[in-house]
Amino acid sequence: MAYSDQVMDHYQNPRNVGKFDDDDAQIGTGMVGAPACGDVMRLQIKVNDLGIIEDAKFKTYGCGSAIASSSLLTEWVKGRSIDEAAQIKNTEIAEELALPPVKIHCSVLAEDAIKAAVEDYRKKLSDA
Amino acid sequence: MHGGGHERGMRSGTLATHQLVGMGEACRIAQAEMSSEAARTLALRERLWQGLNDMEEVYVNGDLNAHVPGIINISFNYVEGESLIMSLPELAVSSGSACTSASLEPSYVLRALGMNDELAHSSLRFSVGRFTTEEDVDAAIAQVRRAVEKLRELSPLWDMYKDGVDLDSIEWAAH
Repeated sequence: MAYSDQVMDHYQNPRNVGKFDDDDAQIGTGMVGAPACGDVMRLQIKVNDLGIIEDAKFKTYGCGSAIASSSLLTEWVKGRSIDEAAQIKNTEIAEELALPPVKIHCSVLAEDAIKAAVEDYRKKLSDA
Repeated sequence: MHGGGHERGMRSGTLATHQLVGMGEACRIAQAEMSSEAARTLALRERLWQGLNDMEEVYVNGDLNAHVPGIINISFNYVEGESLIMSLPELAVSSGSACTSASLEPSYVLRALGMNDELAHSSLRFSVGRFTTEEDVDAAIAQVRRAVEKLRELSPLWDMYKDGVDLDSIEWAAH
């Protein structure tokens, strides 16, 4: 399987690998996928009072394209509002990474992950 | 020789004679060297396994006694197979992971061996052959250990395992 240079770059130098404290009020956590499918992404966002994502971290169990998709996403969401971040489309990720058709589902999972993280944060806000 | 009348009727069939002879000679050599080769590859396979089996959450698949000597399939829990292959550019290994094929299903062989899907996605098949040396095996061991360590740092499942979370109890939001 030939990987694009972009995927290899993210794979070899993944950005923003790590973990925030789940219980922190500023953190939204989205975990999507399943071990049985061979893909699990955990994406976390740190949101300030203005609803802007100050920082993002990820960890992924999955193929190179899955790792690259989630790594790219953490780069993209930083500095964006949670509304904007939730609008990111998997097609944008797939295009940026030049994903072949068989790997498109990795970008879809990344889109699901950011949406889940934003929703988790919103839920925390409303429960607070 | 009866057949399609190829080679102006001299000899039917379009078989490459030199390759046939070569195949026969290869079989002769294989038979003569079978026991010593089996012992040699078995020792190399054992060396490989011994170099990896002290790692946490690493399992061998299949029965090592009722087993072809030169192949071994190992699961590295919490690390996905294809990403592992990507980290091992100098090794020609294959994965039980679904991502290596167009289907997202894990290997039906590993499943038939009773493995759950997640471990099936985390497996690599290694083989040692006639030209494999001890140096090759030692280099492979070092590379695999490094790759697994690096990928576990990226893995949320490894995190959860380390935190004592029972992964079977989670309701995954599968796509």
